[in-house]
Amino acid sequence: MTSNRSKNGAGMIEFRGVNKWFGALNVLKDITLSVEPREVVVVCGPSGSGKSTLIRCINGLETIRDGDLVVDGQRLGDPATNMTRLRTEIGFVFQSFNLYPHKTALENVTLAPIHVRKIPRAEAEKAGRELLAKVGLADKVNAYPAQLSGGQQQRVAIARCLGMRPKIMLFDEPTSALDPEMISEVLDVMVAVAEEGMTMMVVTHEMGFARKVAQRVVFMDAGAIVESGTPEEFFSHPKTDRSRAFLSKILRH
Amino acid sequence: MIWQQLQSLVGSYPLALRGLGMTVMLSLISLVLGTLIGFGLGILRTGGNRLVSGAIGAWVDLIRGTPFLVQIFLIFFILPEFGIELDAFTAGIIALTNLAACFICEIVVAGIRSVPTGQVEAALASGLSRWQRMRQVVLPQAMRIVLPPLVGQYVLLIKDSSVVSAIGLTDLTRVGWLVVQRVPNGLLVFFLVGVGYFIVCYPLILLARRLEQRMGAAHGEVQL
Repeated sequence: MTSNRSKNGAGMIEFRGVNKWFGALNVLKDITLSVEPREVVVVCGPSGSGKSTLIRCINGLETIRDGDLVVDGQRLGDPATNMTRLRTEIGFVFQSFNLYPHKTALENVTLAPIHVRKIPRAEAEKAGRELLAKVGLADKVNAYPAQLSGGQQQRVAIARCLGMRPKIMLFDEPTSALDPEMISEVLDVMVAVAEEGMTMMVVTHEMGFARKVAQRVVFMDAGAIVESGTPEEFFSHPKTDRSRAFLSKILRH
Repeated sequence: MIWQQLQSLVGSYPLALRGLGMTVMLSLISLVLGTLIGFGLGILRTGGNRLVSGAIGAWVDLIRGTPFLVQIFLIFFILPEFGIELDAFTAGIIALTNLAACFICEIVVAGIRSVPTGQVEAALASGLSRWQRMRQVVLPQAMRIVLPPLVGQYVLLIKDSSVVSAIGLTDLTRVGWLVVQRVPNGLLVFFLVGVGYFIVCYPLILLARRLEQRMGAAHGEVQL
């Protein structure tokens, strides 16, 4: 069902027969999926289909019951895998931003580089200012999250991830909590990150974004991957009834 | 008559100062120690280890559910039965510190639990270690919730220190008992004792109120 495009048999992110339950509910059903370095994969599907759970497993915010999940060559749940170390290589952008409210934009961006990467403060602040400028917030360096709009907060959150120079970035419905007029400013930043060659998995219903930068769209329903293909294939010729029904709902307006 | 009593009271001035000093000393030492231990217990209590968390919870419940006077007697009179001899001052410090730590632990736990899980997840996702998450992300936000009741708790604990007079420490309350034997005017003497406690506590009451107002309108912090 999912093409394994990897040349040497190991992608940047590899799900092999992954299952997960919340109590009696099988939230991830036999997921097999491989994401190549520099690939951008958009994950979509109805709410409750397991999209968020899928990407939350990749950085260990959720644990899997069985199957194999290998990220950047390291098997999750393996005692030899240092999860804290692995997380420094994976940026995660949340739907609700989750910026630290007691820290300024710059401090949000420099916290992990200073304390985890042990980069000298002056150097981290210089890099942090550059990153905030890159996401269009050069003038908001000293603002607290409460003083920023949703779109601005989400751009700070993306800069916070980039500050760690991750190999992978995961986006969990990054524009769902935003007012419509702020969505494009966040998507523009995400497109720029994708064009620099970041490996990305993006849970989103922003089909314009998918068409623009995704190499692949994965459609999930009821915990399983139902369909997967290029954005062109998926949007123009959806293969299953469920994906057609889903697309008709989100494309109607 | 009242004039003589007042003169006699003025004569007790050095004793009263000693008592006030003892009360302040007992309170200060046990509040500093109790705060440190209370934060430690609160952090451990919210940590992952069920056994540690359960043990702390049980101890806190036990201390909160028994009278402080009984706790002091247990420490001062029962421990020597097991060969642990303590002078009254040490026993008082231990009992007060333990009480303070237990109450402060509960306040800290409530503060830590008030921090949204998204904050911990963001810190986790950035690769911060357990201690870094606590120190950099959780505790600074928990302090908003913790600080006003913490200072309020200090006031209660300073007043609770009067119970140590029961094991013979010459604190402000015991000075009252001593003086009233020479000056048979209980109303006057214990009125002055009350004034002594109030002088120590009132600045803290004002501080607690200030903190509550400031935390409510803190700059740069979201009302989550």
